[in-house]
Amino acid sequence: MLDLIASRRVVRVMTDEPVAREDLERILEAGRWAPVGGNQRTVRFVAVQDPSTLRLLRMVSPGMLQRPKAAVVLCLDRDVASAEGFSATDPTPFYDIGTTLQTLLLAAHALALGAGPVSSCAWAAVAVVLNLPPNLLPRMIVCIGHAAAPAEQMPMRGPKVTWQDLTRWERYEVTPEGADGG
Amino acid sequence: MSDATAVVTEDEAIELFAFLMTSARSQLDDPCRYASMRLLTAAEELRDRIIDRVTPDTRAILRATEPKTSFAQTHTNDLEAYTATLDGLCAETARFLVERFGGSAADGG
Repeated sequence: MLDLIASRRVVRVMTDEPVAREDLERILEAGRWAPVGGNQRTVRFVAVQDPSTLRLLRMVSPGMLQRPKAAVVLCLDRDVASAEGFSATDPTPFYDIGTTLQTLLLAAHALALGAGPVSSCAWAAVAVVLNLPPNLLPRMIVCIGHAAAPAEQMPMRGPKVTWQDLTRWERYEVTPEGADGG
Repeated sequence: MSDATAVVTEDEAIELFAFLMTSARSQLDDPCRYASMRLLTAAEELRDRIIDRVTPDTRAILRATEPKTSFAQTHTNDLEAYTATLDGLCAETARFLVERFGGSAADGG
């Protein structure tokens, strides 16, 4: 599992090889086991394999650089979140989108598939494309396909960091110079 | 001067229209610098669709700028390199425009 976590990459270039329905179902089952607040299932999936629907999704999702063979749209069920007591402006239910996203990405990677999240979308347009009921708020698209060769992938942005760069033990300490001295 | 032959199909035009329209909305939520990336993506999409249908002169400028456009797309985190690449692309495009349309402009076109 730790190796899977460390070797997963966001895939933005995919081949034309189709994604097997069985693999997609296994990814969705993994998503069902994602940790969510209060064990309330606030996230709904819309799985898409139809090429015309995928094309439409891409047309309204400027951040979708991939041309995926499958996609899972993660939607927040506002009725469930409301019943749990979350206000419409409370960000907490959206954490469930995050945990579910990561679970789906890892599941795809475990099945030797490539996956990449897309959040730059015109969500009102996505809702129309998918014919979503008003209580479902689309907030993330997971593109799934077979990854193209590493040389064809977009290079990773930003400097490499270690876990030590990201971590301070127990509490932050401020040095005399003002820099944190973790 | 080129003729008026269409180099984009209606479906392709609609697709580009949708990309620009939805970008206008998604950009309200995205980091500001994504706007530049989206416009560059639109330029790339347009180039990829028309490159086999345009005149040789236009094809030449599209091919000449392609590697730099791809470089810019993947180096948006390096603002200096990104800016320099875009400056180069804009200058190259302008030189092409001057060569192609300079005469018409002088004629008041």
